[in-house]
Amino acid sequence: MERATPEARKRLQEAMVQLASGDQSALEYIYRATSTKLFGICYRILGDRKEAEDALQDVYVNLWQRADRYDPTRASPISWLATFARNRAVDRLRTGKVRQNAVPVEEAAPMPDNAPMADDVMIDSERTARVHTCIETLEENQRSAIKTAFFEGQTYAQLAEAQNVPLGTMKSWIRRGMAKLKTCLEASE
Amino acid sequence: MTDLDQLAAEYALGLLEGEDLLMARSRIAREPAFADAVAQWDARLAPMLDDIGTIKPGPQLWARIQAEIDAKPDGGAEVIEMAALRQKLRNWQVAGTASAMAAVAALAMFVLTPNQPGTPTNLPTAAPLVASIPIADTPLRLGVTYLPDRSEMLVSASGLSADGVHDHELWLVPAEGDLLSLGVVAPGEERRVELSPDIARNIANGSQLLLTREPLGGKPDGIDAGPVVASGSFSTT
Repeated sequence: MERATPEARKRLQEAMVQLASGDQSALEYIYRATSTKLFGICYRILGDRKEAEDALQDVYVNLWQRADRYDPTRASPISWLATFARNRAVDRLRTGKVRQNAVPVEEAAPMPDNAPMADDVMIDSERTARVHTCIETLEENQRSAIKTAFFEGQTYAQLAEAQNVPLGTMKSWIRRGMAKLKTCLEASE
Repeated sequence: MTDLDQLAAEYALGLLEGEDLLMARSRIAREPAFADAVAQWDARLAPMLDDIGTIKPGPQLWARIQAEIDAKPDGGAEVIEMAALRQKLRNWQVAGTASAMAAVAALAMFVLTPNQPGTPTNLPTAAPLVASIPIADTPLRLGVTYLPDRSEMLVSASGLSADGVHDHELWLVPAEGDLLSLGVVAPGEERRVELSPDIARNIANGSQLLLTREPLGGKPDGIDAGPVVASGSFSTT
């Protein structure tokens, strides 16, 4: 994937600020620039095209209503939007509207079409690589639990049941894994 | 990691449920240090989402989004007012001077004067009634504002989150007769509810409200309401 250009990121950031002040035209710009990425995320979590489209609609309508939640001093706009879409999709999964266990974690790629859109590829590849390096330093049980929680929206209780381990064991796997992940990420910053 | 950081990580990953989740959400609203820790974890984890391939949604989706936004009452005016209001609420919270009641009352004022630029003194002829209902064992409150002029009620459940297993249903206790359902509370949302004349005429200063825990979708027909988890009553501001 292409590196994010500072210009693209800045334009997106400006659009988010404009949206927060009520300018609806900014939403269309944000949609054009980010919808293929956010749709990929919704599809990955929900595993169903129709559900993913409903989730994506919910993401942008909600964004329009609550654009003021984005704080430009805290996060890059694309990271924030990606997290926002992931959380909305997980909420949708949790409310039971969608079948559980949509896509197994290791079979992640849902036929990406990698639509070439000018402002769409806003990925900071260095940062992405760093997370991968750090995730790889975790023990297998830690890594797999963290990824399943993140991509499948599973709670502690669900993870423990799926792995057939006591809840306390699952908590300590994940807590140790997250502590290690944090140390690794901070060391490489 | 500190306990705060650990909880922030668990929240960001989405591991919490039930009361733990409610508590974490309320801490985000109240504790800037905790909110920061969550934002940092979100930022740490977000690059994992970069692996996911992009996919084009259906070409009709943008039109659907636009139609949903256009169908909202007051078009965008309400959204802008709500955004301005939230900013105010945040400022008050930072200053530590706002009570939940004042916040609910302010919300009512905004709702009463949407779409009326130039007439900021469009005051209601009947005063709104508000109820601030504490949720058991948590610092959270459900804010309910009744607007007699419009037979509308505003239910603010911003700090609440869905546990995926239950819904909460709000009930009015009328002076006589059976409980009247005011509908299922939408967790995490501020929602307007239109009230039928039957219900509206039963609401008065001092009317009691109950919140019950129900299966998803609310109390099924023919079954008693679930346990009462919170209660409160309407009063003038």
